[in-house]
Amino acid sequence: MSRADIIDVTASSSQGLRAEREIPEGWISRLAGKAWSLLSGRYTGYLLVAPTVLFLAAWFLWPVLTMVYLSLTAHSVDGVMVEGFTLENYIRLFSSDLYFRILMRTIRIALMTSLFAALFAYPLAITIARGGPTLARLVTITILAPLLVNVVVRSYGWQTILNKTGALAWVLKLLGVSNPPVLLYTEWAVLIACVHVYLPFVVMPLAGAIGRIDRTVEEAARVAGATRFSVFLRVIFPLSLPGLAVGVSLVFSLSAAAYVTPQILGGNFSPLLGTLIEQQILTLNDWPFGAAISTLLIAMVLASNLIFLKLVSRRFARWTAGAR
Amino acid sequence: MNETVSPLLKVVVGIILLIVVAPLVVPLLMSISDTPFIVFPPQGFTLKWYGAVLANPEARASFLFSLELAAIVTGVSLLLGVPCAAGLTRFKLPGQDAILGLILSPLIVPLIVTGVALLQLFAMLGSRATLLQLVIGHTVVCLPYVIRSVSASLLLVNRNLEDAASVLGAPPHIVATRVIWPQVRPGILAGGIFSFIVSFDDYPISMWLADGNHFPVPLYLYTVIERSFDPSIAAIASLMIFFALLLVLVIEKVFGLSLARLAS
Repeated sequence: MSRADIIDVTASSSQGLRAEREIPEGWISRLAGKAWSLLSGRYTGYLLVAPTVLFLAAWFLWPVLTMVYLSLTAHSVDGVMVEGFTLENYIRLFSSDLYFRILMRTIRIALMTSLFAALFAYPLAITIARGGPTLARLVTITILAPLLVNVVVRSYGWQTILNKTGALAWVLKLLGVSNPPVLLYTEWAVLIACVHVYLPFVVMPLAGAIGRIDRTVEEAARVAGATRFSVFLRVIFPLSLPGLAVGVSLVFSLSAAAYVTPQILGGNFSPLLGTLIEQQILTLNDWPFGAAISTLLIAMVLASNLIFLKLVSRRFARWTAGAR
Repeated sequence: MNETVSPLLKVVVGIILLIVVAPLVVPLLMSISDTPFIVFPPQGFTLKWYGAVLANPEARASFLFSLELAAIVTGVSLLLGVPCAAGLTRFKLPGQDAILGLILSPLIVPLIVTGVALLQLFAMLGSRATLLQLVIGHTVVCLPYVIRSVSASLLLVNRNLEDAASVLGAPPHIVATRVIWPQVRPGILAGGIFSFIVSFDDYPISMWLADGNHFPVPLYLYTVIERSFDPSIAAIASLMIFFALLLVLVIEKVFGLSLARLAS
């Protein structure tokens, strides 16, 4: 801040104070003042943070840790807890063909959702970062608007499109496809809706990353004769990887734990892990097994965060080592 | 200078945007169809499905309950979150990283898991206070949003203005209400709106903790989709979409593109 700025600021705030004298002070400002003067004590920082920390410790950390503990216990047929630790629940999860198939399907759908979301996100992110302000604004609002629409409504929207008498079948018939495939209640329906629901989570960090790329690098490549496509492949893509990693790890985590979308669009034929948790706990009342699946889900999410973020950041460091 | 975006790219983006809005537009079209079941393209024109939805006592009760729940959750989240953001940004606390980690971890652990863990804890404690349980569950996930947006605005506060005001003799409460408050108000407002939306839209936590008398809108919608096939579902969906559009316009008006920054 320069000297002139300070003079300017003091001038304007003294004006503010002069105006203040004419206004009688309300009890609200007195209260705020009391609160503010408390902020000078030695432990004030901790006092301010403590309610939230205690709240989250009691209602988040404690329940989640209890659940992890519960997954290591067993119960007898009549529902009574058995003493001691066991890995029985996890062994059951991996040895039963049915459960293992659901696990594999969850990983497959989460991976494919991430892949397709990334594919669709690039054109959108490039337009947001490099298009004119009006275009960028239009794309941003259109991408973010669905986020404010409830996930049940969005899944229902896809149901009306993918239905046997839905919009997609109608469009395909117009195009002359005589026997259009019915996608509703298949894995494809789940995949399409997941990509739609989670697309903004890749687009936004990606647009941020592309916006930070120095335009002169692109221009240099163009001047040196690179086509648009090779500029994308050799400049934009590698330099946008950190943003992509953030987005993809988010999409993977969210779609691996998706419950509503697979329930509405996958029907009873392609449950994911979320559905399995709900069945085990609300229908079969098997808490330890449900806890084990939940713990596995947490582990998958943490692993995806570690893998995408750490791996890509190391690659990124190597690829751009020469550029810096 | 707009040549960095090629025409081909614009076409691709246009197609993707069409697909993005399609599932929001198709229910609108269906909701005015004068047929007893969903069929595309819609036939005839009627508003009777909207009338049916608005007259439905269950739908109204759910909507009002969701509003009440979201309002309470927003209040609690702000009460806890604003002081916490102040503590985190204005003080050097040993163990700050651990505190931040704890605050952000509800965004990492899948919501469905947080919900089931809370249900199990409440069952263990023998609690039957459904509203309180829902408020607690929703607040756990809304807190990170509030703290993030309030912290962001607190970090942008120009400290020189405060110093200038106190040097000129302003007592602390004047500094707080006249200098700091106007600067952090947008962040607090944004945090409040976000936590309202997150609570109003929540499914994966409510599904464990709700009961028949405390039945939020998303759960109600889901049961309607499961059990009936007439266009009245499309009408409810359309009403929800209008509600969301209204929110988009309000947020756009108030914050401009800062919405984009907060969402990423």
